[in-house]
Amino acid sequence: MGQDTRDNAELDRKLRHYRLSRDEHRRIVGLIGREPQGVEWALFSALWSEHCSYKSSRVHLKGLFNQSPRVLQSFGENAGVVDLGEGERVAFKMESHNHPSFIEPYQGAATGVGGILRDIFTMGARPIALADYLCFGRPEAKRMEKLVDGVVRGIGGYGNCVGVPTITGQTEFDESYDKNILVNAMAVGLFRPGEKVFLSKASGVGNLVVYAGAKTGRDGVHGASMASESFDKESEKKRPTVQIGDPFFEKLLIESSLEVMEQDLVVAIQDMGAAGLTSSSFEMAAKGGVGFTLHLDRVPLRDATLEPEDILLSESQERMLMVVEPSKLERLQALYHRWGLDAVAIGEVTKDRVMRLYWKGDLLTSIDPDLLVEHPPRYERAYESWKPKHRITDGPVLMASGLKVGEELLKLLGSAEGASREFIYRQYDGHVGASTAADCRESVGVVRLKDSGRGLGVVLGCRPYLMRFDALEGGRDTVAYPSLELAAKGFEPLAMTDCLNFGNPERLEVMTSFVAALGGMNELARELVAPIISGNVSFYNETEGRNITPTPSTGLVGLRRSVEELPTSNFTQAGHEVFVVSTSKIFEFGGAFAEKTKLEPRAMGAIDRDSVKSLVTSLLAVEAGGFIQASRVVGKFGLGYALSRMALGGVGAEVNGHSFAELFSERLYEVVIATSLSREDFEKQWATASGGSAPIRYLGRTGGSILKIGSDVELTVQELTTVYHRGWVQSFPNLAVNV
Amino acid sequence: MAKSIGKSVVGVIRFPGTNCDRDVFEAVSKLGGEPRWLWHGDLFDHKEYSALILPGGFSYGDYLRSGALAARATAMKSVREAAVYGTPILGICNGFQILCEARLLPGALSRNQGLRFIDEWVELKVVGGLSRFGQNAKVQTASGLRIPIAHADGRYTVSVDEANRLEDRGQVWLRYKVNPNGSVADIAGVTNEAGNVSGLMPHPERALETWMGSSDGRALLDLWS
Repeated sequence: MGQDTRDNAELDRKLRHYRLSRDEHRRIVGLIGREPQGVEWALFSALWSEHCSYKSSRVHLKGLFNQSPRVLQSFGENAGVVDLGEGERVAFKMESHNHPSFIEPYQGAATGVGGILRDIFTMGARPIALADYLCFGRPEAKRMEKLVDGVVRGIGGYGNCVGVPTITGQTEFDESYDKNILVNAMAVGLFRPGEKVFLSKASGVGNLVVYAGAKTGRDGVHGASMASESFDKESEKKRPTVQIGDPFFEKLLIESSLEVMEQDLVVAIQDMGAAGLTSSSFEMAAKGGVGFTLHLDRVPLRDATLEPEDILLSESQERMLMVVEPSKLERLQALYHRWGLDAVAIGEVTKDRVMRLYWKGDLLTSIDPDLLVEHPPRYERAYESWKPKHRITDGPVLMASGLKVGEELLKLLGSAEGASREFIYRQYDGHVGASTAADCRESVGVVRLKDSGRGLGVVLGCRPYLMRFDALEGGRDTVAYPSLELAAKGFEPLAMTDCLNFGNPERLEVMTSFVAALGGMNELARELVAPIISGNVSFYNETEGRNITPTPSTGLVGLRRSVEELPTSNFTQAGHEVFVVSTSKIFEFGGAFAEKTKLEPRAMGAIDRDSVKSLVTSLLAVEAGGFIQASRVVGKFGLGYALSRMALGGVGAEVNGHSFAELFSERLYEVVIATSLSREDFEKQWATASGGSAPIRYLGRTGGSILKIGSDVELTVQELTTVYHRGWVQSFPNLAVNV
Repeated sequence: MAKSIGKSVVGVIRFPGTNCDRDVFEAVSKLGGEPRWLWHGDLFDHKEYSALILPGGFSYGDYLRSGALAARATAMKSVREAAVYGTPILGICNGFQILCEARLLPGALSRNQGLRFIDEWVELKVVGGLSRFGQNAKVQTASGLRIPIAHADGRYTVSVDEANRLEDRGQVWLRYKVNPNGSVADIAGVTNEAGNVSGLMPHPERALETWMGSSDGRALLDLWS
């Protein structure tokens, strides 16, 4: 073997270890003018990972609608910030923890919650709400019951302990997640009037770089690059790269860090998340246009045998990096000590834009942080323009024969996809904070803002079965559907975050769906003036060559004048008139029912942004008058299922007869409303509010303990309830709700 | 002598990991009391306080056992003095666990029967005549109180004999209508023999207004009936 071949083999080994490509190696050499040495390999590996650099998505994210007069902070910071007026502002963001949760569900999910909380309180906002978007495989898939159990326990174990209420969520089941589950956590934090927003931009030559929180251990080393790879049969061996969370420590870190910020003791602050100390320090310096001198041997260690490279890449949880004026160090340390935590100066801010990393006095590297943070490769992955499939010009979109409406409704309520999620949300503290006005039992989670008394609504979006049917319409729906859910309860949609979970971007069909979905999402965000102010991309959700359903989950926040008299999601009183209001233009397809029962896929029309906007506006106007007592956006499984769910509160209804297709297909968008007004009065109110832009149809009246749909369906509320709860237990026999 | 809550200074004790502290602080304030912070690491003069509350949460992360480490905190020395002195002391959820671990209340709170955390609205009955707390609730709400629970270790546990003795002496003051966690005799709250130290698992501070889902919690935080 010649020297060249040996060198090549050695280089390949190194590149594999650091998960870098040959092209990327050439780019590094070009940028620094020499071969990378020592820890530099680790730095490039971490900061150029897909997870940290967004190298496959950045060209598409650039065009996202992310501004409105309310937006105070958008991409580029730990989280986005929106102005609510009256001095109140919220920070929020959603992030994925998919790979770790599949490898080790409890810790993976728990640290997902911990990580997203740190992004929020790092900015000086107190976390006030959590939401979780979960996608699991089929209940019978290998390990699935354990994965569901572990993820739910992990989320609860962390969120409950830190004392942030989980107020909403969404859980989906599909075969495409059998070997790659999705765990996306969203956190919302509040700045009360007078509270300052803290950013991560380092400044002030001579200021100290201070490390606070938990000691550094070996956990999570290479986590960022692990999360940027596809899965294979060896994934099990990646367990040591999963971080371990300590919610008690996080709670102390929240309280102490918020106090530190309240007393204005820090100049800049960032949590150590993916790629730990490396990403936090390099990003803070790059943003500020300064350099840092860092003494890695001063980093508090849990394991004294850690090498500099481990210290740089460790993703040990519950750690913060801050820039602090020297004169304030003592007060800052005293405050952290009071909470039982350490704060140590590990370096200082320098004028030249160079990161100098030292280990016991030896200089390991001196490198321009911009090269790593601002100059990762940008890939323009191949994709095609979106082509709608399965379109017909004349209905019906659902061709079912010989099926009985009542029986099918019960089957849906009793299926994993349609059954109760009580098992899940019962394990989450939904009321700590004493501000929760609507919890996971409702379609929109609501917390009361203490100072103004207004309501903040939080809701998640993305329907995987629609994404599988059509990624463009599915992308539009990730904004339209949750916006309508908010509006139907009287919440004006303000802004959103997203978590773009996709497969391998190097595959044409994955990138094609990514571009289509993002385009749809962006179009509706712009139309509804719900700017996308933060988010996360999770590629490589691919296991053994199989990619997940494209799943761009979203989290929206909305604002309501108060938390009094919120419309419920169930019928609550007899004698209310029931209507369906809808968009003037409709996208109609066979929906989740057609997919589940393997009927021929058919669709007509398209989601029309103007008519979605009109429906949102009309709902807000009518709700403001106090005329909506109960509401539900017709979603998965169509109108029949929506009515069944509304009857689960104990009050039934009698509504007009409908064809099978009308009850089980999905018409985007329809909203069921129950009102205490008379039929005539409500129709008048609706006509005034909508100006004729959103059709209304009378359905019937609430009352009794039976759901009656024409002459086809007569189901007792008791039966619906029993089946709805039994559906979960039948899907997951070992995960019962009972004591 | 009955005191009005308006004149009452209420000490709210914070342990590391307490997470209902601010909720309780605001609740006391909302009901007209004067809440004051007390720190786990400091002794305090109990005579300056008309009542004390140990709020819920996860003191010390529930490590070792729920409440076990907090029960040994410095501030608990002052709490013991207050208990002997006769100061009304209320422990909510983790606060109840701490009072049991400190042996200021009988029994123990073990893992829920289903071995999972439970967040749920429950119906409660105020019973027994001994507890200083909830006296008004008995009169006001013969139909029961609707208040949420949120705990993993809420299964009240004592021997059958001890449960009977507690019953006879009127030390059981709060009972679940439907037992959510396997507690002995559906017990949701107990008091000491003097009636001034009481604990309960449900969270009255989360049920103060209609928009919260219920305002029944007010009747339990009416500390000086």
